[in-house]
Amino acid sequence: MKNRKPIVIIGAGPAGMGAAIEAARAGASCILIDEGRFPGGQVYRKNSKEFQVKEKEMLTAEQKRGKKLHEELEEVSDKIKILTSTSVLGVWKNREVMWSSNDASGVIEAEQIIIATGAYERPVPFPGWTLPGVMTVGGVKSFIKTMFIKPGETALIAGTGPLLISTANKLHDIGVNVLAVLEAGSPSWASPDFINQWGDADFAHDIAADLLELKQNNIPILFNHTVFKINGKDEAESVTYGALNPENWKPLEDTTKTVNADLVALGFGFVPNTELTELAECKHEFYPGIGWTVIRDEWMQTSQQGIFAVGDGARISGAIIAEEEGRIAGIKAAQNCEAIQAVDAEKRSEKYFSRIHSFEKFRKHLNEVTSVKSGLLELATHKTLVCRCEEVRLSDVDKAITEGAGDLQSVKLLTRLGMGACQGKNCSPSMGMYLCEKLNKTAYQVGRINPRPPVKPVTLGALANMTITKDSHQNDSYDAINTGGYYEK
Amino acid sequence: MKNNEVIIIGGGVIGCAVAYYVAKKGINVMLIDQPKRGRATSASAGGLWPLGESIGLGCGVIFHKAMIEKGLLPADSHIPPQLPKSFLDFAIQSNEMFPSLTGAIKELSGIDFEYEETSLLFLMYDDADVAFAKTLYGNCPCGNSRIDWLTPFEVKHSEPAITHNILGALRFNGDNQVNPYALADGYREAARKLGATIITHTEVTGIKINAGRVSGVETKAGFFPSKYVVNAAGAWAAQVGEMAGVEIPVYPVRGQIIGTEAMPKILSACISTNDCYIAQKHHGEIIIGSTTEETGFNTDITPSAINSLCKGAVRAIPFLEKAKVKRVWSGLRPGTADELPILGKVKGVEGYINACGHFRTGILNSPLTGLLISEMINEDQLSFPIEPFLLSEERLQSLTNNENSNHKTSIQ
Repeated sequence: MKNRKPIVIIGAGPAGMGAAIEAARAGASCILIDEGRFPGGQVYRKNSKEFQVKEKEMLTAEQKRGKKLHEELEEVSDKIKILTSTSVLGVWKNREVMWSSNDASGVIEAEQIIIATGAYERPVPFPGWTLPGVMTVGGVKSFIKTMFIKPGETALIAGTGPLLISTANKLHDIGVNVLAVLEAGSPSWASPDFINQWGDADFAHDIAADLLELKQNNIPILFNHTVFKINGKDEAESVTYGALNPENWKPLEDTTKTVNADLVALGFGFVPNTELTELAECKHEFYPGIGWTVIRDEWMQTSQQGIFAVGDGARISGAIIAEEEGRIAGIKAAQNCEAIQAVDAEKRSEKYFSRIHSFEKFRKHLNEVTSVKSGLLELATHKTLVCRCEEVRLSDVDKAITEGAGDLQSVKLLTRLGMGACQGKNCSPSMGMYLCEKLNKTAYQVGRINPRPPVKPVTLGALANMTITKDSHQNDSYDAINTGGYYEK
Repeated sequence: MKNNEVIIIGGGVIGCAVAYYVAKKGINVMLIDQPKRGRATSASAGGLWPLGESIGLGCGVIFHKAMIEKGLLPADSHIPPQLPKSFLDFAIQSNEMFPSLTGAIKELSGIDFEYEETSLLFLMYDDADVAFAKTLYGNCPCGNSRIDWLTPFEVKHSEPAITHNILGALRFNGDNQVNPYALADGYREAARKLGATIITHTEVTGIKINAGRVSGVETKAGFFPSKYVVNAAGAWAAQVGEMAGVEIPVYPVRGQIIGTEAMPKILSACISTNDCYIAQKHHGEIIIGSTTEETGFNTDITPSAINSLCKGAVRAIPFLEKAKVKRVWSGLRPGTADELPILGKVKGVEGYINACGHFRTGILNSPLTGLLISEMINEDQLSFPIEPFLLSEERLQSLTNNENSNHKTSIQ
């Protein structure tokens, strides 16, 4: 094989791991980059040695899937350069990838790029949402998963989607008093028919088991309800909640009740993390209730040649589908590098395509699981912070609209909304929706807040210490990175 | 609809300043703006450095060094070209307007544009920098009354955050700073309070001319009649000029700029080195600029620029090594080959007025530009002779034929 630049895979969750496994098996040179200390991502996060579960029968279905994937990656790990504790700061359409790790940074020129950066939890602004004691369900889960930390004494869980149920059970397990789960919708996954209809999907089994456990734990679940307000001076002390109009999720103000709680776990579904595909100038489209997603062909290729997007960062579908998408992209990228022939690529990917197709209808349900309705926006008052980084309040956004701002970019210029460290990840999903409602415009007219490199926190020192690598054989530049040696025997 | 006397095209710092000064004369004025990515006002550090800019500090010295490294200038030409005395005088007079402008804008608009008397320090790293500084100190067109030569000890004493590995510094007194966004906002709000009509998010599509005289402006939101049209379109001034059949030799010059997280006050002066300039703003963030690149209207940012600006910043202020970068962004300066603004009327189109080509000094030169344009429209005596900045036929010819100029050479 010719001396080629590497395939760079960004994100080592299920999608990135799947891509790396297949690309390495096909004989392509590849680099797998992840921010964590180990591969695994959020869902297959590896615990520190002290917390690892040894007995096989104690593993949940999810843990079993993760273990198998880790083993597959380990088998080919001598063929992959795994850069852990490394952030990707930017991707350019000419396939340059800028990374940083501790006090070093660099630019890799990639032959192919597979973006597998996952999704993040949708922030919904309402009074008190920034108080200490308010966490996302993902945050709560990872506290428990990695460190067995009890994040509060009395908890209320609110949002939408099955993750609320499993979080409630996890909190119950470690001795937190869980008052209730408030589900904003009345979703199909909570009906008894769901398991009958989708019995062959592991995911459906997981949900059914979680619902049963919730019942056994005596935790009530209220549908079409959510948190209206979190009260407290310096931290969450009590929570005011109430019913939502099932049609549009508008809060019904005369239904409120207040209970004492020091932990509020929120999960309003997920937003695909499209920062890198946006930076690479890939084409995107908008899904109502979910957000912007990158456009791909069946091989997971974006509109930019040699740049793939897979997993929840491309379209929210969960870990199982993410892994299959990753594998397909890994195979195709290897073919694009001429590591394998087209016929071979077809053969290798056949079963992953057929798995994905068998889930196609199921994915529509997953969309429902992760989408929200615009009535939720009415929870925010004019004083509510909508951009936490720059401390912009809803009243500032309203003032900008009065002054003629008709899209997110103009609101940004007038208010500094989205100019902070998160580059709009926390405010643009809700404020984009807000502008659409308020101005009666489409998401395309309202636009987005454009990300700029670096999309992750990095020091000036690291950027001053930058290496530009022309091909994968100059490996010296990675010496600065702690690769963890996770798979070293 | 009231009949507009004046329509200003462009809502950056220049357009807003013109709107403010024209409205202050009691003239009916409308500003039409279409915010675009890359407007220079939003990528400015807000330095008011009349001396520094006139003698080639700020971006000038960085650009000059880059040219030498590219082999486009001889290695021993360590002195960036100085701008003409008329420019320095213009800049100094404009700079002197800021202290009183602060109060006037605040009173009208409630906006504090954070005028701060900082001075500008040029750091001398090596003998070449010392030689450069000696020439400046000895031959500054304003005399050296405004310049102090600081020993390393004096620098250490007044700016402890600056590296100790220097041979000295020049301090330019009177070279200060503002918050550039707040300045533009302040002008705009003050103009509005004085009766100006501000139309944002509206694209101008044409300038209507009847018998050699401006009669109004066509926009996506309809036609607006007016007697005067002011071209304050920044990097897009050439396109706006074309609508009136006027050739404007202004081209976009990209500057990439870095902003850090907010930090405690560590710098009291602005800093210029041959790698970068550094200014700590009111909210605590430190701005590090800037490249000088001709890449058309491209507003990308590039790894190599980020790298060299960060290197320069860490060299000047070692502790910035641990500071976090918050944002990197870029703006398009309205470049002119002679580095002078293009102001005033042109032959052949009555009612058309230029307020463009401010290159690196739009923030600094905004008050005097605004004042002059308002005086021109009101037929007052001008506060500053405008001749050097008019787009005469000779100037246009020299600007468009200036193929050998440094600034026509693209560097990345």
